[in-house]
Amino acid sequence: MARNSKFRVLYRQFLFRLMDVEMLASSAHGDSSSLLGQFGAMLVFGSVLLSWVAVAVGGQIWRHGSVAEVWGAERFLISLTMLTVGVFALLNWDATFPDRSDVLVLSPLPIRGRTLFAAKIAAGAASLALTVAALNCISAFAWPLSMAPPGFNFPAKLRFVTAFWTALFAAGAFIFCVVLGVQAAAAQLPRRWYLRVSPILQIGGLVLFLGVFFFQTTAAGWQQWLPPYWFTGLLSELSGVFHARAHPLMAPLAERAIAALAIAILVAGGAFLLSYLRTLRKIVEEPDSAPMPRGRFRLPRFGTQPQTALAHFAIRSLFRSRRHRVILAFYLGGGFALTFVYLSIVMDLTHLSWTGLLREQNVPVMGASYLVLLAAWAGARMVFALPLDLRANWLFRLTPPCAGTSSLAAVRRAMLAVTLLPVAGATAAVLLAFWHWLALAQHLLVLVLVGSVVTDLSLREFRKIPFTCSYLPGKSKVHMVFWFGIIPLVFLVHKLAELEDGLMDSAAGYCAMVAVLTVAGWAARRAANHDAAENSLEAQFEETSPDELLTLGLNG
Amino acid sequence: MTLELHNVTKRFTGVLAVDNVSFHARAGEITGYLGPNGSGKSTTMKMITGLIQSSDGEIFFDGQSIRSDPMGFKQRMGYVPEEPHLYQHLSGLEYLTMVAQLRDLPAKQTAERIDGLLRLLSLHSDRHVPISSYSRGMRQKVLLSAALLHNPDLILLDEPFSGLDVATSLVLRSLIQELAVRGKVVLFSSHELETVERISSHVVILHHGRVVADDSIAHLRTLMSLPTLEEIFSQLAVEQDTSAVSRDIADLIRA
Repeated sequence: MARNSKFRVLYRQFLFRLMDVEMLASSAHGDSSSLLGQFGAMLVFGSVLLSWVAVAVGGQIWRHGSVAEVWGAERFLISLTMLTVGVFALLNWDATFPDRSDVLVLSPLPIRGRTLFAAKIAAGAASLALTVAALNCISAFAWPLSMAPPGFNFPAKLRFVTAFWTALFAAGAFIFCVVLGVQAAAAQLPRRWYLRVSPILQIGGLVLFLGVFFFQTTAAGWQQWLPPYWFTGLLSELSGVFHARAHPLMAPLAERAIAALAIAILVAGGAFLLSYLRTLRKIVEEPDSAPMPRGRFRLPRFGTQPQTALAHFAIRSLFRSRRHRVILAFYLGGGFALTFVYLSIVMDLTHLSWTGLLREQNVPVMGASYLVLLAAWAGARMVFALPLDLRANWLFRLTPPCAGTSSLAAVRRAMLAVTLLPVAGATAAVLLAFWHWLALAQHLLVLVLVGSVVTDLSLREFRKIPFTCSYLPGKSKVHMVFWFGIIPLVFLVHKLAELEDGLMDSAAGYCAMVAVLTVAGWAARRAANHDAAENSLEAQFEETSPDELLTLGLNG
Repeated sequence: MTLELHNVTKRFTGVLAVDNVSFHARAGEITGYLGPNGSGKSTTMKMITGLIQSSDGEIFFDGQSIRSDPMGFKQRMGYVPEEPHLYQHLSGLEYLTMVAQLRDLPAKQTAERIDGLLRLLSLHSDRHVPISSYSRGMRQKVLLSAALLHNPDLILLDEPFSGLDVATSLVLRSLIQELAVRGKVVLFSSHELETVERISSHVVILHHGRVVADDSIAHLRTLMSLPTLEEIFSQLAVEQDTSAVSRDIADLIRA
């Protein structure tokens, strides 16, 4: 077979393997097209929303005559594309390099290592290009057309659109190459070390990307060092929109974008080439998992023996699966960023300084602890629904007590252990030195009650054992509700914090608040237990029910 | 104690995988369950365990339909599946502890039992290593330990010898005999006819989802006037002329 056809076969395989078909519901028959379809639909939906904003505000921008607003809108789209590409590159970390099975299956075949690597990179790049295209398929037309200055003729508009797409792809390619370069550089370490540092790099990358996305406008004096500004400069230079009133900053930013992209491509290419020369053998010779620590740390009991088994399984799975950890970190990173934005806004409103923030009981800190708790809860709820080693779940199908209220209690305790316990612990550790102990205890009690209510509400009709049920993205609605409802959620959290702050000085008012939350928690748990008791015989292992219709196959 | 299958049938969409299978496996007896690839052995095993539902027929254990008390039945059954699918992020020790907890076994006694099993199966030094690093044989040993941990009355072994080294295979062979002597019902499927012939008293041979033989090996030998189980199996379940097929393959790749 010619080298090109080998490349094509491998490229196709690797492209479709970027979607993990093994975690899909069996009704999807291992076909990644439904997953790809749903994923693409989500991105296109995002593009439609962005376009709607463009149509609504784009025309207004020039009427106000502010060039900075146009740049702000452009930079937002570029930042969003960079964030999306960056997050997907980090989530697909394991798919970028050949894994042990790739090497074991493909090495005996007459395929050159460089063909294998090239196919891997091409698949990764193609998926990211598709991501950029899907995310901007409408908005990258709607924004430039609605923001084009009055009097722009068709060729000028076409140039603006082309510049938009060029800048978006350049920004996406830059982030992709940066992630690839870092990963390839890490791959030069002994494989066990590489496996150990990978999650740290992934989580660090997520925090960095989210941090830049949310805080770029507040980082006064640092803008010239932030990539979204470079590519906004590039867009500005390419579009020719601002020639008449060119900003002196834009040209150097555009030059920086081109230099950064060239450096990123060269570094990523070089590091990847080095990986190709050095890592294939390492992948086969060294174990594909980092050894687990033999520390004396033992997880506590979580109730009966079966409940303890389920809770330990959930906690261990969460902390040992890189993919699940990274997704949780993504939610936590988003939560921290949101908390930071929330604090900035509320502190402006309350005239509180950063230094005065911790000194005494106040609404922003209370609200911040709720927001972090909710982000941890949303992340845990999301990752609990994603499977791990789906084919091994036969064990739970064969052991008797894996459903009903007993199982639900175990899941609830595991969720509280990975969300409420660390958040309440961290809140206590940070505030103990600053707050009066009674105020802190009062706040922690309310935090625990709120966490308990939210957990029980989210577990209604949850019949799964964490990490054992197949997955279809469109079926998992909780996290989507979380992200889309984020603004009203922040408002509610702030109101709750204000209410708590107001009632903490009055014993009767505080007791009434605790009583209301306790009753709400009791009701939520009762409802969840009632649902669980009705489904006490069998846990859910498939996201979608088997077909009700049976094909008889009579037509031969 | 007897495991009884009465006219058990399994239809997948358009495919009859198991067709009206009936046989008995008695306590103190080792029942070998044989058949070529795709004959329905593993499907039958999965129906007995409850992993898949039969389309028709009934399965009884100790006189009770397994559907009448599935939880009670699962507590009395140990199963080694055909493929060693295990949670790879757990260590061997953690996996076995989890299985014991799920079966609600007393903690202290179980810890000793797990420790003993790991030592006897030469896994003790690797007990803290993640299963993802285990060889196929080591995984098979973990599955075997998990299946025996709760001292089950019914032991279902689907290809239990695959991946095991010679020493462990010999241990397993003796263990199966010992368990039968202690009154367990043992049903095991294997392609190693020599082993089956050596340890089984009773065999059930499946072909295209149907039972084509259900008898003691000695009686089958007499009945069919054939000296070995391999020849009996070839006669009943192998349709191809093996020499001709191998000649054809060699010719094909030369062409």
